[in-house]
Amino acid sequence: MPAFKAHAMQPSTLLDEQARQDFVGALRAHLSGRLMPGAYKVYETRVEPAFRARHGRAPVDQDEIRKFMTQDSFYQFWSAMQRRSQELLWESVIDPTERELPELLARSKTLQKSLEGAGKRAKDNRRGTLRLDPTLEIPRYHRAADIHLQPGGYHTEFTADDVSAGVVYDKGINLYMGGALGPENNLMGDTLLAYIREKHPARKPKRILDIGCAIGNSTVVWARAFPQARVHGIDVGAPVLRYAHARAEALGVTIDFSQQNAESTDFADGSFDLIVSHIVLHETSKSALPRILGECRRLLAPGGLMLHLEIPRGRTVIEKFMHNWESYNNNETFARYMTGIDLKAEAMKGGFPADDVLMDEFIPKLDVAQMNYTEHFFWKILAAHR
Amino acid sequence: MPKLKKKSKRTAPAPAPAAAPAAATPVRLARVAKGKKPQYFSDPAIDKLLSMTLTLMEELSVTRDRLDTVERLLASKKLLRRAEIEGWKPDPKAEAERLAARGRYVDRMMRAMHVELEEIAGRGMPKSEEEVVAAVES
Repeated sequence: MPAFKAHAMQPSTLLDEQARQDFVGALRAHLSGRLMPGAYKVYETRVEPAFRARHGRAPVDQDEIRKFMTQDSFYQFWSAMQRRSQELLWESVIDPTERELPELLARSKTLQKSLEGAGKRAKDNRRGTLRLDPTLEIPRYHRAADIHLQPGGYHTEFTADDVSAGVVYDKGINLYMGGALGPENNLMGDTLLAYIREKHPARKPKRILDIGCAIGNSTVVWARAFPQARVHGIDVGAPVLRYAHARAEALGVTIDFSQQNAESTDFADGSFDLIVSHIVLHETSKSALPRILGECRRLLAPGGLMLHLEIPRGRTVIEKFMHNWESYNNNETFARYMTGIDLKAEAMKGGFPADDVLMDEFIPKLDVAQMNYTEHFFWKILAAHR
Repeated sequence: MPKLKKKSKRTAPAPAPAAAPAAATPVRLARVAKGKKPQYFSDPAIDKLLSMTLTLMEELSVTRDRLDTVERLLASKKLLRRAEIEGWKPDPKAEAERLAARGRYVDRMMRAMHVELEEIAGRGMPKSEEEVVAAVES
């Protein structure tokens, strides 16, 4: 497993802080890799039979399973520990971030300052930009609950010019996947990039938009893969965007970040020939989803392509139930509805004709360490062209 | 003074000269996520207990890592071989001190059980909250 790559925008860790992060890694590897498969066993051997004994049939949906599974002692213990491991994960990253925040804020400002002198640089060697909108309304689906239990979510500002949410998110998601996201949390970007290279090898996008980009970990992948392209990343959270900008500058990658809601952006019609998102759609809402896809259609130039990477939601009822652990226990509230949502139909609500939309599955030749609620991992990709 | 000018952009009124610098207060980040926390067991106390157990598990792991660091450093500086630590036997004085310390540690860990025992039998514990309230009402 390649180690998480330290860069200028990550805090150092004291001995005990590092030990806490290492423990969280070990605990989560055990809970996901060793105990989670036990939940399937428990279901087969005693929960499903108990359901049959009561109802004379197998459960038909995840809600029926939930009523029985949440009463099972093994599931209760695994579930409670999985939840606590997520809390411990954030705590282990927040401690060093808080301790080193003054230095991180200073470094973020230095990286921005060097940007101010970028006008002198040659045009083809320009630096990235950051455009924030303090008047932007943070969507309700961000304000109601902190996604993935990250305290404060992606939008809360604990101090002026805050970057802490981004600092915490970067290291946090790497720990979450046990390092499987790669040294620069590049797995999702790499996956979608592998997809476009395989399915659309001739495409050489010149204007790329990454929606819900957070810290720009996937955006960086696109900017590196298509160095001739102008790459934009948008998100609603200011602290993650400040961090994304500073991080990209620290990595020497040129990206234009702006604080915008993907449901309604200020880009002109047909601004992009490639629009991507990486496991973002299931964090939105019933009403936001078709609006985002409609906005994508407006922003696509004729012939342009949109690709949304999504996680699988399970094939069998028990798989569907297990996948939705995140929804009920890790503040992925909208994810439970995604199980029943037909993404192709949503794209059509957004104005795409049926023939222009494809719901695809993709198994990347990449090493995914965490089982993530299912043995057979594959990505779902909503693809559509204009 | 360009430095002052920059600062006044953020702090609206003119700062009082005697005031302590605001930057001295460290920024505190949130540790608790917004949202409804699920209850896993029939008794919420079990949820809390398991949460505390995992924290304890974490801190023990941290301590072991730290001890391992110290042992390896001592070995690398040739101050102590790891085999010496493994083979070490306490003398009678050390043994007695460790026995006492271990006993105090177990006492502390078992406090919840002892509290229950005291409530049953010890020190004339009040039988009810009303009894305690009555004591201050006269």
